[in-house]
Amino acid sequence: MTTKQFTRRFCGIALTTAALGATVVASTAATTAADTAVTLTVGLLQDIDSPNVTVGYTVAAYETWTLQYATLTDKAADDFATIPGLAESWDASDDGLTFTYHLRKGLKWSDGEPLTAEDTVWTINTSRDQEWTNHFATTVNLTATVVDDRTLTIETAVPDPKLPTMDVYIVPKHIWETHAGTVDDLAAYDALDGVGSGPFTLQERKANQEWTMVANPNYWKGAPAVDQVVFRVFSDGDAMVTALKSGEIDVAHLVPSQSFEDLKSESGIVTVAGAQGGFTELAMNGMAGGLGDGHPALQDIEVRHAIARAIDRQSLFDRVVKGQGEMIDTLGVSPSPEWTPTIPADQQLNYDPAAANQALDDAGYLDADGNGVREMPGGGDELKFRYAERSDSVNGAAIRELIEGWLKEIGIALEVSVFDDTQLGQVVYDGTYDLFVWGWTPFVDPDPMLSYFTCDQLTTDAASPGYNDANWCSEEYDALYLQQNQELDRATRIDLVHQMITLFYNESTYVVLYHDADTQAYRTDRFTGWTQQPKGTGPVVFTNSSPTYFNLTPIEGGGGDDSSSTGLLIGIIAGVLVLLVVGGLLVVRSRKNSDERE
Amino acid sequence: MSERIPEAEATSPVIGSVPRSGRAVAWDRRRASAAGVWRGLRNDRLAMVGLVVLVLFALLAFAAPWLSDESSLSAANTGDNPIWAPPSWEFLFGTDHLGHSVAAQFLWGSRISLFVGLMATLLQIGIGSLIGLTAGFFGGWVDSVLMRLTDWFLVVPFLPLAIVLAAVLERGLWTIILVIGITSWPSTARLLRAQVLTVRQRLYVDRARSLGAGRLHLMRRHILPNVTPLILASTTLAVPISILTETTLSFLGLGDPTSTSWGGMLNSAKDNSAISGGRWWAYMPPGLGIVFVVLAVTLFGRALEEILDPRLRQR
Repeated sequence: MTTKQFTRRFCGIALTTAALGATVVASTAATTAADTAVTLTVGLLQDIDSPNVTVGYTVAAYETWTLQYATLTDKAADDFATIPGLAESWDASDDGLTFTYHLRKGLKWSDGEPLTAEDTVWTINTSRDQEWTNHFATTVNLTATVVDDRTLTIETAVPDPKLPTMDVYIVPKHIWETHAGTVDDLAAYDALDGVGSGPFTLQERKANQEWTMVANPNYWKGAPAVDQVVFRVFSDGDAMVTALKSGEIDVAHLVPSQSFEDLKSESGIVTVAGAQGGFTELAMNGMAGGLGDGHPALQDIEVRHAIARAIDRQSLFDRVVKGQGEMIDTLGVSPSPEWTPTIPADQQLNYDPAAANQALDDAGYLDADGNGVREMPGGGDELKFRYAERSDSVNGAAIRELIEGWLKEIGIALEVSVFDDTQLGQVVYDGTYDLFVWGWTPFVDPDPMLSYFTCDQLTTDAASPGYNDANWCSEEYDALYLQQNQELDRATRIDLVHQMITLFYNESTYVVLYHDADTQAYRTDRFTGWTQQPKGTGPVVFTNSSPTYFNLTPIEGGGGDDSSSTGLLIGIIAGVLVLLVVGGLLVVRSRKNSDERE
Repeated sequence: MSERIPEAEATSPVIGSVPRSGRAVAWDRRRASAAGVWRGLRNDRLAMVGLVVLVLFALLAFAAPWLSDESSLSAANTGDNPIWAPPSWEFLFGTDHLGHSVAAQFLWGSRISLFVGLMATLLQIGIGSLIGLTAGFFGGWVDSVLMRLTDWFLVVPFLPLAIVLAAVLERGLWTIILVIGITSWPSTARLLRAQVLTVRQRLYVDRARSLGAGRLHLMRRHILPNVTPLILASTTLAVPISILTETTLSFLGLGDPTSTSWGGMLNSAKDNSAISGGRWWAYMPPGLGIVFVVLAVTLFGRALEEILDPRLRQR
């Protein structure tokens, strides 16, 4: 898929990632971490799974790559518009199938090697041949050719509405070539070289604790004002918030919803509920992939509609996420709202448990034995669904509790199991579930998110899983998908996408519960220049191209050094304790002496 | 009341001129010693305080269905309640992030916490007794193998093992019971093995053996009765540890999320920023509940152990 905007399938921390990678790894980058270095500290709840851009998939990893690898075209902070990046300009051929990019003069990698057209062409062509997960969706139909050191052409085999946007991470050929024998060789590469072309490059990584990125003096916009960025991994949201309040970190990512409300009244801290099009959904097993043993009742659209109507989404949104985010009925396919259709009133599946009960009665799902749970038409299995709850989500339990209660009202029982994200991924691939609640965050272009619900993406072999976790597909949807994929007229493409989303909504294999907010909070005492992307509604970090890091400038004399004041405090307490102990001993001693004297 | 206790012997119907079987005599002796234990406990004020507190909590847990409606535990039914309401007459312990009454959760949670604590203890004592008795009684290579196994479980740090097990197994109430049971039996096993070894050395056991008593007979008539008090004492002392472990695992988010337990309440309070937000009523009741129950069982258990464990007996 197109770079950046990640599929946030794997938020939160898993205890089991402890085994990942080496504990402390030094990198080749020069150490500039002098005491005077200006350090920005970012708190988050997730570690990078792998710094290797052909392996990782977590939000944390995407942020690291975005900082380390510049792209041919950049994205405007305000509205994601395609703007010059490594390429200062580009021209399209008349047929719209070939684009010529002109690189900036004097581009260099952070290690001083020149960055040429050869690097970009190698990245694009190799990622296509080796099917690198994070590049392939963009480069699948592309062929890049070197014209000269500063010029390259990219030719696409089919019309591609995403071009001339070219936002795949360009990696240094002189480093990566030696590791890229085959895609498996490449996957084994730890990618700790720390050589990049973005504003910051990876210097050191301590698995499950923190990783450090240092300023790249060769960045094409110039060296950033911040000398280094430290990403600190917290295992607990409350601890992260405490660290933010005490000034230990400058910005916190994914603040728990209640803390977020509490922080709003804190002075010197700004809260941002950034919208990125990400959403949380209740998914039902459509069994289209043929694996597993989903409940047969869920293949009846009447049952799916009844479930959709039994859920009081507004109440869930208000109570569980405290209204942070947006109430939107349909899939989020992009952070830009223009892709989101309005569902006609007569097709909306609003909260109406009475109608849901009536529909189930009419369809023959009756509760013949009177135990409060309906059975399949004509008797037989009960409507008792296996519900997979996410333990890595703070809200997982609350959402399950509400849904369980509401479904009980329409005679549907749940059998709840809890899984961490890795386990849940496996359960979904195996098809051994009926319902689960999880979420996605789309890229800027709607294409990748839409592609996940095509028949191609079904998991038909658990060894090579696809993205289609609705486990549903239709020919009509696939046809529309191919059409929009090659439609160059934007208005027509938007209309096609609206049709697809409406069709998907009506099928109800997904009940979109709400659109998430990326809850962030930052301190205002040490840095200025926090940049929301897109302007006004987006988050400040972990955005699409994360412009904040480069834009930040330290405030003169701001903040002060908190570690020294903590040190001082500890010193004072220790001193007082020593005095007390020594004093106490002296008193005891003198008493003893006086006792002896008597 | 306490003065009457010895009379239990006197009013025993078998007392009289009728010749009595050895078994009846043995039973009388046991009854008498049970009465002695009770007397000992009655004289220990702390033990009685523990017992009273424990009985109170047990009654509360038992009466939960009459005191509060189970449906109030589901957030789907608490939509009209205020969230984070401080304690009031309507909500004795206040409400939490979804409008649950903390008092109702506390009541129903006590059931889960006590149930898991008891079941896990039974499992742990069961495994520990079986292994300890077998090892001590048979000796030789059986002893060696079983004790190496016990040593292995003893040296593996308890909490990491429990966390790994809880993470790997499917989440649920019985998983927690299983995890606590199979991680905490070694001390019981060692204790019992030691006791069996001493009992086995006693003269009357040797005598019985030389008279041709079989293993089963020895075990049933001589060993088991002599270690039973010890099993009882270590059971009582294992209960608070099991309850605490359940709380720990639930607090770490490894408990059964579908049932409300005290540890689960603490976990939910932490996850929903009750601690940093100063909403003390969300975590004080389960926290204090755990402290009181654990303290009560420990007080009672210590006194019982002092009376029953021959090595601790001072009188």
